[in-house]
Amino acid sequence: MTDRIERLLERVEKPVRYIGGELNAAVLPFAEAEITFAFCFPDTYEVAMSHLGMKILYGILNAMPGVLCERACMPWVDMLTAMREEQVELFSLESRTPLRRFDIVGFTLQYEMSYTNILHMLALGGIPVKAADRGEEDAIVIAGGPCASNPEPLHRFIDAFLIGDGEDAIAEVTSLLRDCKRERLTRAQKLRKLAQVEGVYVPVLYAVEYHKDGTLQSFAPIDASVPAVIRKRFTADLENAYYPTSPPVPYTQVIHDRIMLEIMRGCTRGCRFCHAGMFYRPVRERSVEKLLALAQELVDSTGYEEISLSSLSSGDYSRLQELCERLTEQFKDQHVSLSLPSLRIDSVLKGSLEQTQAVRKTSLTFAPEAGTQRLRDVINKGVTQDDLTEKLRDAFENGWNSVKLYFMMGLPTETPEDIEGIAKLAKAAVDTYYAVPKGRRAKGLRITVSVSVLVPKPFTPFQWCAQDTPETVRDKQQTLRHLLNIRGVHYNWHDSLTSQLEACFALGDRRMADVLYRAYELGCKLDGWSEHFRYDLWMQAFRELGIDPAFYANRARGTDEILPWDFIDIGVTKAYLKAEWERAQRAETTPDCREGCNFCGLQRMKGLCKGCE
Amino acid sequence: MRMMVIYVKPVSLRHIGHLDLMRTMQRALRRSGLPVRYSRGFNPHIKLSFASPLSVGIAGEREIMDVPIDGECGEESFLEQLNRVLPGDLKAVGARCIDDSFPTLMGLAAGSRYRIETDHPADALKDAAKRLLSAENYQAVRRTKSGESVCDILPYIHTLEIKDHAVSFTALNLQSGSLRPSVVMDALFALSDIEPCGYTAIREAILARDAQGDLVPLEVISHDG
Repeated sequence: MTDRIERLLERVEKPVRYIGGELNAAVLPFAEAEITFAFCFPDTYEVAMSHLGMKILYGILNAMPGVLCERACMPWVDMLTAMREEQVELFSLESRTPLRRFDIVGFTLQYEMSYTNILHMLALGGIPVKAADRGEEDAIVIAGGPCASNPEPLHRFIDAFLIGDGEDAIAEVTSLLRDCKRERLTRAQKLRKLAQVEGVYVPVLYAVEYHKDGTLQSFAPIDASVPAVIRKRFTADLENAYYPTSPPVPYTQVIHDRIMLEIMRGCTRGCRFCHAGMFYRPVRERSVEKLLALAQELVDSTGYEEISLSSLSSGDYSRLQELCERLTEQFKDQHVSLSLPSLRIDSVLKGSLEQTQAVRKTSLTFAPEAGTQRLRDVINKGVTQDDLTEKLRDAFENGWNSVKLYFMMGLPTETPEDIEGIAKLAKAAVDTYYAVPKGRRAKGLRITVSVSVLVPKPFTPFQWCAQDTPETVRDKQQTLRHLLNIRGVHYNWHDSLTSQLEACFALGDRRMADVLYRAYELGCKLDGWSEHFRYDLWMQAFRELGIDPAFYANRARGTDEILPWDFIDIGVTKAYLKAEWERAQRAETTPDCREGCNFCGLQRMKGLCKGCE
Repeated sequence: MRMMVIYVKPVSLRHIGHLDLMRTMQRALRRSGLPVRYSRGFNPHIKLSFASPLSVGIAGEREIMDVPIDGECGEESFLEQLNRVLPGDLKAVGARCIDDSFPTLMGLAAGSRYRIETDHPADALKDAAKRLLSAENYQAVRRTKSGESVCDILPYIHTLEIKDHAVSFTALNLQSGSLRPSVVMDALFALSDIEPCGYTAIREAILARDAQGDLVPLEVISHDG
């Protein structure tokens, strides 16, 4: 096997993606493990190795006695073609073992447009793509991650989904399957046992029926022994939860090539479009002391020269300034720099600004998301024009010249005035820069305005809303292109067709699995990479199956409709989401729940949600 | 003070490019706790230079890097501390203290000796080598910093021999650059009727001129040449 792989590596681009053997990679010999887990990332190595969740779960599994977890990624097109030609199966990075020889094959679902890659990886790894075709010798294929909150479009390919935080659940599932292996249980018995684990959804044990109009009529377990509701898993004690302090360090530069320090999980802001904001509730912080200790271990074990603070909203970390000061102090002799990503516009910026400047001057990112105050109220983004102007002035006065502004289009109730508002905000940012005296501001203003298309997500108040059609999106993009023709401003937009397909999978039901399979057969892959996205083939797949993408993406749903993901309890209740959807349409904001419980549903979980105590 | 470090870039890691290897070494040095020097500026990095960058795809048996350090550090303990933190099969095999006034290693590097292991019949390769060396000139495409250029490659070839299944050749660093093993192999394939196919290129040594002007391994050069 290895010789044949070595020969392939001579003919592909960036062979270093496939060599494994990095610092801190797992080294247990494959044959010595009692149970083997292939952690599969359905995108390239550079994307995979930038992902914190994989490092956490990889670390947890390899710390378990008798368990070996190895990694596999989606090969780039040249490698994929070469492997098929030479009949080399998809292999793990560590021991170069084909996927089919692992007991468990686990995929992380980070992005809808990576779904075809999952099918390609299974096929290339020697595992039947459809769960129904797998036999006793085949691996159990599981999947988790944020997109597992609507698992239905993948139900034909995945044996079991794991919903929610993975720390405890992955260990539980793996030891359960180890016991099953010892007892030589059949595949069917294993799946039955898995279905009893909290947070695990085994799709083959559920049946659905549809109304004539295509909406769901019923969703139910096939018998009473299977739970009707799947409750999301929570890692209650983040402070003491496992954290990977010696993750693999790639030989080659990856996208996030630095230490990622997860300072907290969850966000209480309640932006109505945001899946993560609902899915990762409640907010849980790690203490400054814990983070300083973790950071030291990470620097010592990896040698990285940069730490970035990771969370949904780092500006909301209760002791951000203290953390930044102490991290900077702790590592000043080792010359480790600190970067603060995803800063919200209303964060405690000033103090932190001075800290980051001492070490490194990166581009600043602000996300007003919408162009007018009315629309920001609709989406519950509690940010005002004055906030933005003030923070920008601070930034420009402190020597920043590069700022990114993120917006969305296609938000519910949006009018032409809201689209114009995006350009007005960009113009205001330019004016703010020029208002700073020439000697005091840095030269070369660069304001990047990125406008994405709203993809309504499950478990958000916008799950009922229709996405703009690709035609409408293109019109709005045209308008913005003219309006944003401003000196110093760069405009980025997203492909309207990709956004539509994202919505189809985010909001899709079981029939989207057929579309996915047909698209895979037609050769769709690496759809998240625009150069490989074949909209024509996707549309062919929809057409052949008589399925209309607009049914999933561009249809407003009634609040009494059964949604494909209703059987999952993520903590936030459907009643709360519905109330939020109604408030959105009246442009009524909902305060951050740290200012008082909004009864989103988490209050049911005593001791878990601090805000609700 | 500076430490001249001799290390092995094994065949298993031959696909690592020069910049990636540099980053890997810098991270290893940071983990080692050795008294390395940092550059100034907003984005300080560990100072480090290589005697002769090695292309992606080529392994090296005696690669050389130059690590400036502060204060005193024994060669043995430097070697031991570095090896404790080097990843995978990357391994330091020698360390030599040199003075800050010692010439830059890149300036000393005058050539490279390569061994290219193939499965090809030695006789065919021998014929091709004989034809190449006896030619008036041999035009081939060389990849340089500024793109591709066609030129006579013979001035770059110091020696070229076929031993068993291996091509052994010494390339000279000229003002215009040097010669990659792949260019020589392409020439040998073109001059014979053997099908081009896989081979493994290994740099055996980085060479410098001694006081007599002979090519010797760079690591043995003394301060005064």
